[in-house]
Amino acid sequence: MTPEQIHQKLQDKFGDAILEFGAEALDPFIKIEASHVLEICTFLKNDSGLSFTSLMCLSGMDYGEDANLGVIYNLHSMEKKHKITLTVELPRTEARVHSVESVWRTADWHEREAFDLFGIHFEGHPDLRRILCVEDWEGYPLRKDYVVQEFYHGMRVPYKEDWEDYETLAKNPERGHFVFQFESKVPDLVESMKNGKSAKNKSEDKSNG
Amino acid sequence: MFGNLFKKKRYIFEDESTMVVDLDQSAGRYYEETMSKLEIESYQGDEMVVNMGPQHPSTHGVLRLELVLDGEVVKKVTPHIGYLHRNFEKHAESISYNEVVPYCDRIDYLASMNQDLAYVLAVEKLIGLNELPEKVEYARVITCELNRIASHLVAVGTFGLDVGAFTPFLWAFRDREKILDLLEWLSGARMLYNYIWVGGLARDLPEGWLQKVREFLDYFEPKMVEFNKLLTTNHIFIERTAEIGVMTPEVAVSYGCTGPVLRGSGVKWDLRKDEPFSYYDKFDFDVPVGEGKFGPVGSVLDRYLVRIDEMAESVKIIRQALDGIEPFTAQDVQAAIPKRLRPAAGAEAYVRSETPRGELGFLIRSDGSDVPFRVKSRSPCFSNICMIDDISRGGMIADLVLIIGSLDIVLGCIDR
Amino acid sequence: MVSYFGNIYRALSTIAIGMGQTWKAMFRPAVTLQYPRERWELPVNARGILFMNADDCIGCNKCVRICPVDCIYLDAVKAAPDEDLGKASMGNPIRQHVIRFDIDMFKCCYCSDCTTVCPTECLYMTDEYENGVYSRDNGIYHFSKYSPEEAVALRLREKEEDERKAREKEAKLAAKQKAAEGKGKSAVGA
Repeated sequence: MTPEQIHQKLQDKFGDAILEFGAEALDPFIKIEASHVLEICTFLKNDSGLSFTSLMCLSGMDYGEDANLGVIYNLHSMEKKHKITLTVELPRTEARVHSVESVWRTADWHEREAFDLFGIHFEGHPDLRRILCVEDWEGYPLRKDYVVQEFYHGMRVPYKEDWEDYETLAKNPERGHFVFQFESKVPDLVESMKNGKSAKNKSEDKSNG
Repeated sequence: MFGNLFKKKRYIFEDESTMVVDLDQSAGRYYEETMSKLEIESYQGDEMVVNMGPQHPSTHGVLRLELVLDGEVVKKVTPHIGYLHRNFEKHAESISYNEVVPYCDRIDYLASMNQDLAYVLAVEKLIGLNELPEKVEYARVITCELNRIASHLVAVGTFGLDVGAFTPFLWAFRDREKILDLLEWLSGARMLYNYIWVGGLARDLPEGWLQKVREFLDYFEPKMVEFNKLLTTNHIFIERTAEIGVMTPEVAVSYGCTGPVLRGSGVKWDLRKDEPFSYYDKFDFDVPVGEGKFGPVGSVLDRYLVRIDEMAESVKIIRQALDGIEPFTAQDVQAAIPKRLRPAAGAEAYVRSETPRGELGFLIRSDGSDVPFRVKSRSPCFSNICMIDDISRGGMIADLVLIIGSLDIVLGCIDR
Repeated sequence: MVSYFGNIYRALSTIAIGMGQTWKAMFRPAVTLQYPRERWELPVNARGILFMNADDCIGCNKCVRICPVDCIYLDAVKAAPDEDLGKASMGNPIRQHVIRFDIDMFKCCYCSDCTTVCPTECLYMTDEYENGVYSRDNGIYHFSKYSPEEAVALRLREKEEDERKAREKEAKLAAKQKAAEGKGKSAVGA
């Protein structure tokens, strides 16, 4: 079946729930209303003409910092050898959609992943926990407005080279080349060079004093 | 090639039929049924919760399984993953399209070429690059199939190790070493190649490389016969593996299992055949499926045999590709590499290809800039390990080790 | 009873086949190498530790941009107008002092992308692969030919130069503005 026929079939059956049909896209997609996901997916799987037996991929999507979230279902039929993409858009603040775990078991972990990384809640999922991140992680990493948490159980999270820190650098003057990341400190270093003292001695003096 | 080895030594279980766990029903989902079939009432005592992994030699990486055990029988398995999580997808959103390729290598480090090819195919679809020099396509097929053999050798070797056979493991690695040498000569690295680029290859084929591949194939085929004599046709091995971890085709399809795991259940589904990418439609090869020669279809042994047969098919494909590339050896492999990679804004494509572990798909969305807007990788191991609870219920804890081995997981691929 | 002995026979025979294979393998030459004493030959293009030939670097920053893991740190200072730094061995004119070229080999992912974009081919991968060190600091390789003191001096010089230019520009702008204001005033006055 061509994507047009699939769209026509869905249009006849569900009417208003079908919002958009992108026939010219690289992967033809059908945009549906979030509240009808379960019905449409059940129909797609069980209808003898369509029989989408497998869910290739379920991915969360963030359309931008101010835009909606989305879920993309890439469906495929092993018998009929046709494909279609379903997309759903969800409001950013209240991202809820019904789970399709009961239709395709593949969706089980993929939905957990989308929940973990995007914060999309799948209603009716039997076991909606974080899957890749630890359970008490804050925030949803793949959202575009994600800011990484500062500390996790007392451990510093954002990655920082120790030698990017000037204090560490001062203790190891042989790494002098790195100084140029710290523009403001350059005159300091030059001064210490003029005085015939390395930065190391200086720091020792400080600690002694 | 290897099929006739079995004919003489066919061996069917006759007398121990009571021990045959007939797991028709969704492959042993129902613990009570299995227990009654095992003719064991119940073990005296309480349930145990045992933590297996993440540092366990037979979980093939940092996979943690939370087992609920009754004696030695597994009642429930809860996999916990994420110990190797690097969030490749977030990384990919901050680097340009070409720079993602080295990261793709690290998704599944045992089959880097195939990972690269999957990603590169997706980007090529995004930018509408369909025509590539013949040499590039043939070289991609050759390298990918070589890597498939290398990956399957690790799979069958470590599976032998899980059963308790040490020699096959070393023999498999000896042959894999030859492939790694070939690919090192080609790309400079032994495992993480970064060789397949968008629109071409990183380097030209070295002089005499194709001849060396041919020599390797001539060397490899007798070695596989030896390997089969050592492990595949061993009665003790067959008896150990033929009836455990049975997965029915319905379960496999529903859980989205792909690759040898799906084919082991008797479903003839191979993207190289059913949805040919690159030049796979030009080659003549078979798709081996699990036949249940020694027990129910979809057992641990079937998955193993599919891998063994697939290696022979890969050898076939490489031979044809080596013949096919001959007239085009003078072509420039970097001729079609685009100067600037900027797919149209809003373009989105899901492209999948067959890696040794199954279907690897990349969903890429572009916003018209140099960096991808979103890259989602649908990794085969992620879906394959998902159903471990279903097929290991009712089995012994020692069988669980074999089941994990037969699924051939790579934790880098699961956690990404 | 028959099946019992049949089982024993099958087990023994199958072990015998396997043992036969291993027995044959005993008379083959060993494939293992005694590693620290014996080495295998690496191919021409083997990817090992990165090396930069400081005489040829023109500070074009291409390697920094392509690096997927951002392990190359490059700082360059513009040459003074009357300074001639010569040419790289491939003929590219050098217009910058590369005062810092550091590679964090612990971050490097050995993808070899940086060597392919290098226009002067001064950055390449050697066949050294043993870079285990006792301290994490020693994994950072310095390739610049300038000492820290020289580098600081060059950097300060550039800074002064920039400041001077900025001052000049400001002065020019101020003069222009003044002129414009004067014109405007005169226009209003008229």
